[in-house]
Amino acid sequence: MNIIEIENLTYSYPAAKSPILKNISLTVEEGDFLAVVGNNGCGKSTFCKTLNGLIPHFIDGDFEGSVKVGGINTLESDVGTLACKAGYVYQDFENQIVRPTVLDDASYACLNYAMPDYIERGRQALFLCGLEGREEDYIWQLSGGQTHLLALAGAVSLRPDILILDEPIAQLDPGHADKIYGVLKELNKKYGKTIIVIEHHTEYIADYCKHVMLMRNGAIAWKLPTAEALRRVEELQECNIFPPQVTIAAHQMKLNGKLPENQLLPTTISEGKNAFQHLSYHFSAFTKQKEAEIGEPVVQFRDVSIAYRSVKGDDRMVFNGLDLEIRRGEKIALIGSNGAGKSTLMKLMVGLLKPGTGDILLNGESTRKKKTEQLSRSISLVYQNPEEMFIKDSIRADIAYAMQVRNVENWQARTDELLARFRLTELQDRDGRLLSGGQMRRASLAIGIALNPGILLLDEPTANLDIATRKEIMRTLTDMKDITETVMIATHDMQLVCEWAQRIVVLCRGRVVADGSRDEIFGNQEILDTVGIRPPEIFSMGQALDSRAFCYTVEEFLHSFEEV
Amino acid sequence: MKMKKKLSENILDKFSIDFLRNQVLKNAYGNDDTVIARLDPRILLVWYLIFGLVPWFVNNLWFLMGCFLLVLVTTVLARVAGLVLLLFAVGVFTQTGYLLVVSFLFGGDASTIVPLLILTLKVATCSLASVTVFSGLDPDRLSNGLMWYGCPERLSFSISYAYRILPMLMEEFQNILLSFRMRGNPPAHERFWGKVQYLFYQVKVVMHAFYPLMLNTAKRSRTTVEALEIKGYRYAAVNKAVKKMKLAALKVTYNDLLFLAISFLWIAISILLSTLF
Repeated sequence: MNIIEIENLTYSYPAAKSPILKNISLTVEEGDFLAVVGNNGCGKSTFCKTLNGLIPHFIDGDFEGSVKVGGINTLESDVGTLACKAGYVYQDFENQIVRPTVLDDASYACLNYAMPDYIERGRQALFLCGLEGREEDYIWQLSGGQTHLLALAGAVSLRPDILILDEPIAQLDPGHADKIYGVLKELNKKYGKTIIVIEHHTEYIADYCKHVMLMRNGAIAWKLPTAEALRRVEELQECNIFPPQVTIAAHQMKLNGKLPENQLLPTTISEGKNAFQHLSYHFSAFTKQKEAEIGEPVVQFRDVSIAYRSVKGDDRMVFNGLDLEIRRGEKIALIGSNGAGKSTLMKLMVGLLKPGTGDILLNGESTRKKKTEQLSRSISLVYQNPEEMFIKDSIRADIAYAMQVRNVENWQARTDELLARFRLTELQDRDGRLLSGGQMRRASLAIGIALNPGILLLDEPTANLDIATRKEIMRTLTDMKDITETVMIATHDMQLVCEWAQRIVVLCRGRVVADGSRDEIFGNQEILDTVGIRPPEIFSMGQALDSRAFCYTVEEFLHSFEEV
Repeated sequence: MKMKKKLSENILDKFSIDFLRNQVLKNAYGNDDTVIARLDPRILLVWYLIFGLVPWFVNNLWFLMGCFLLVLVTTVLARVAGLVLLLFAVGVFTQTGYLLVVSFLFGGDASTIVPLLILTLKVATCSLASVTVFSGLDPDRLSNGLMWYGCPERLSFSISYAYRILPMLMEEFQNILLSFRMRGNPPAHERFWGKVQYLFYQVKVVMHAFYPLMLNTAKRSRTTVEALEIKGYRYAAVNKAVKKMKLAALKVTYNDLLFLAISFLWIAISILLSTLF
C-alpha cells in the first residue's frame, strides 16, 4: 500500500522567481526506509515540509498538484491532523525542544492536541527512543545525541505512520549516530513506521535504508533500491554525493581492469569481502605518511584540573590532572565522543577559561597571568558554530576587525589578500550569517588566521557540512599548511583525521587515553571499542581483507591491493 | 595588597556570564526538591498575596518583625540562589538603608532608627515573600498556578519558555563576548585612567554584542516557530479541554494545609505579642 502519493507537485516560495520543487510525482510504500539525497539547495527540506502540511498551510507560496499522506490530501487538511500522520525532526533539532524537562517535552504535542493519555504516550515514545529513565531530567543535562533522540520522541509520541528526519547525524559522534539509526531501524522493523531521512552519509544509507531518492534542481532524478542506487557512482558524484568508499574503490578497480566488467559493485564491507576476495595485500610505499618536522614544545598542560559549576550538587570535573604537550609544527587531531572535553581543552589553550589548578604554558610562558587579547597573536580558536564569530555586519569588517584594532600594518591590503585566498571577495559585503554553510566556514577560517597566529585551533570544522563542502574545507586546510605552523582540530570526522593529521590525541571522560600516529590509534582495537571510534570505511575494508593493511584513503587501498 | 588583588580578581571571575547563567538555572530549577517547591502553587500565590500586601497597612513593630522572621524562614527553606539574595540585600539597602546613613550625617539621632526599621521591615518582608514564591517554585508550577487563577495561557507559556531559552541565549551571548575578547584590543588597564577607559570599552562591547545576538536568535527561532505549530501550540491556546488537563495535575495536599496553618498560627502569635507590648 502506498502511504505517500504525490502527483505533479510544483511549489515556489513567496517572492521567489522560479519554483524550488518542479513537477514532482512520487509514491512511497508503507514501511519503507527512504533516503533522500541531493545537492545543497536542491529542495530536499522543502520537499519534506510538503509532507507534514507546513507547506502550504504555514508557509505560503505557489502550490500546484496534490500530496496525499496516508490517504489524506494535504490541501484539504490542516497542520494538526497531518502532524499525527507525519512527524518531523529538524536538522537544528535543539531549537525544536520547547519544554524544560524530558517527559514534558515528549508529551507536549499530545497535550496540546488534548489527548487524555498524553503522559502515557510521552513515556512510550521515550521508551521507543531509548530514553527511559531520563523522564524527569532537564534538557540541558542531555548530551547532543540524547537531545536528538528527545526531538525524535516528541515526534513519535503522536504515533505518526511516517517519520521524517533532516540530516539526523550531522552533529553527532559515531557512537550516537549508530544509536540514532538503531532506534530508527527498530521503529521501522518492529513498529512498521515509514521513515524518510535526508542523509549525506552514504555508508549509513548502505547499512540501513531500503530505497534512495536522488533530487536534482528541484526534481526527482530517480528512486531506486539502495544497492542499485549506490552503484550509480558517476551520477552520484556529479551531484556531489559520495557513495561508500568501498563502492568507489570497486568502481575504480573496474575502470583499471582489476575487477571483471560484470562484477556488481559492493556497497557494504560484507559485500566487499566477496568482491575483493581475489585480491591480495602487498605493502606499498604509498601508504607511508610523511614525517612531520617537529620543533620545541609550544603548549604544555601541566597537571591541569578544571570543573564546571553545575545547577545541582557538586561541580562537574572536566579535567583532573591533565598533562599534554604540543610541539611546533604538529598537525594534531583531537578526537573523542560528545562531551569528552575537546572544546574545554581548546578554550583553556586560548585563555578563555582558566584552569582551576595546574598551569598551561604557551611558548614557555604561563597563561595564567596573561590576558586573552595578549595571547591572540600567537594562538587562535575557530568556533564550531561560525555564527558566533561574526560580530560585525559584513565579513570584510569581521576579517579586518582584529587587525584594525591592533593597527596592524597594511591591514587593508592583508584583508584583501585573505578575502581572495578564501574566495570570499565577491561576498565581502554580506553578513556572515546569510552565507551558505561552506562559505560561513571559510569566512570563519579567514577570521581565525587574520592575526597570523603560530597555533590554530579548529573546533569541528567540518560538522554540518555536506560532503562536497567538506572536501572543499579539507582542501582549504591543506592549503593553509604553509601559513600556520601548528594546527589542532577537534573532530568526529575520521576521514579528515586520516587524511590530514600527523598525530592523534584521543580524549575520553577528561583523560588522554591514547596519543600517537594513525597506525597506532586505528590499529588498536581496544581503544577503538572503548572510545567508540568508527574508522573510515575503507580502513575497515582493508582490515577485513588483511590485518596488515592500513589503508586510510581509497587511493591507498587501490595501491595496496593487487591481483595475485 | 595581595589579598586585595585576589579579591578583585575573584569578584570579576564570579560575575561572568557563565556565573549568571548558572544562577538563573539554579534559581529556576536547582531547588525543586525543597519543602516550598512541593507546595501547591495556588496556595503559595494566596500566601504571597497576604504577605505581600498586609505589611503595608500595619505599623506595629512586633507584628512586622513576626512576619519578617516567617518569610526569612521560608526563604531559607526554598534554598534561594546566592545572586538573588545579594540583589535583595542591595535592593533593601538602596531603598532604606542609605536613609539611615544620610540622617546620621545630617545630625539625626537614635530616634530615626525605629521609623526606618519599620519601613525596612515592610520592604524586606514583601521582597522575601516574592523571592520565596517566584524563586522557590519552578517556572512550570508557577505558570500553572497563574493559569488556574485565569491568567492567559500565553503568559504562562512565556514564563516557562523564557526559562527554557534563557540559558541558551546566555551561552550564545557569552560566546559572542568571547569573540570580542579574543579579537578585540582593549585599552591597557593597569592605571586608574586605564581602568575607567576599560570600563567604557566593556560597556561598548556588550552593546555591540547585542546585534549579533539578536540576529543569531532570530535565525534559531525560525525552527522553533515551525516546531510549535507542528506541536499544536496554536490549537491548545483555544481549546478549553487542554487547560483542564494541564491543571488536573494540581492538587492541594495535607502539607499545603499544614503550611498555611503554621503561617497563620505564627501571625496570630505576632498579633498577640503586638497587643501585649
